[in-house]
Amino acid sequence: MSAPRTKFYLDKQSAKWSGVCAGIADYTGMDVTLVRIAVVLLTFLSGPWTLPAYWITAWMAPRKPIELYQQDPDQKKFWQGVRRNPHAMARDVRSRFRELDRRLADVETYVTSSHSRLAQEIEQLR
Amino acid sequence: MEFPEALIPLFGILALFIGLPWMIFHYVTRWKTTKTITTQDEDLLDELYDLARRLDDRMSTIERIVQAENPNWRSLGRDPVEAALEDRSERIYEAADRTNRPSRRT
Repeated sequence: MSAPRTKFYLDKQSAKWSGVCAGIADYTGMDVTLVRIAVVLLTFLSGPWTLPAYWITAWMAPRKPIELYQQDPDQKKFWQGVRRNPHAMARDVRSRFRELDRRLADVETYVTSSHSRLAQEIEQLR
Repeated sequence: MEFPEALIPLFGILALFIGLPWMIFHYVTRWKTTKTITTQDEDLLDELYDLARRLDDRMSTIERIVQAENPNWRSLGRDPVEAALEDRSERIYEAADRTNRPSRRT
């Protein structure tokens, strides 16, 4: 609850070296392997500036708090969406609540109408 | 008029030391204002998301109970009287038209 979820963390659990690529993948929701391949390609194509960038990131970024490893996949996906676009995710939550409202209304109609039908049938039996 | 060649490095230096940092900071500030939400908003969003999930689970349980009690409850949910009595006024008017004005059609 306390650890901020919209920060960049080093993902030590699926780390190959320091967990920067795994952290990027975890932050954005991309595939880890793709991120690693992209970084290696970038290193070969545009010079070795990615290495100091990697070290600086590994040195500066905090490690991922232990409770964030326990998120289930749905939650992970949701927070990746929040990092990308908080407003869209807020709208997503609202649509969930609307859906719930609709389903609850269905059940409510059924329960109340079945009660009234039961009352009618009891009246007819008298 | 010929462009003075001595000005080219000046433009280069200007672009490099003023234009580039300006552009970088411009995008950094824009990124910061659009992408971040406050910690309170984050907690609120987390709570709402959690609540929605829990309510979803409860709703599914209730729907399952109702389903077990009465498999076609969704169609029964609507008022049976309303479902059975359709609006026939249009058809009555059409029939009346046909009987009143048969000569105009032929």
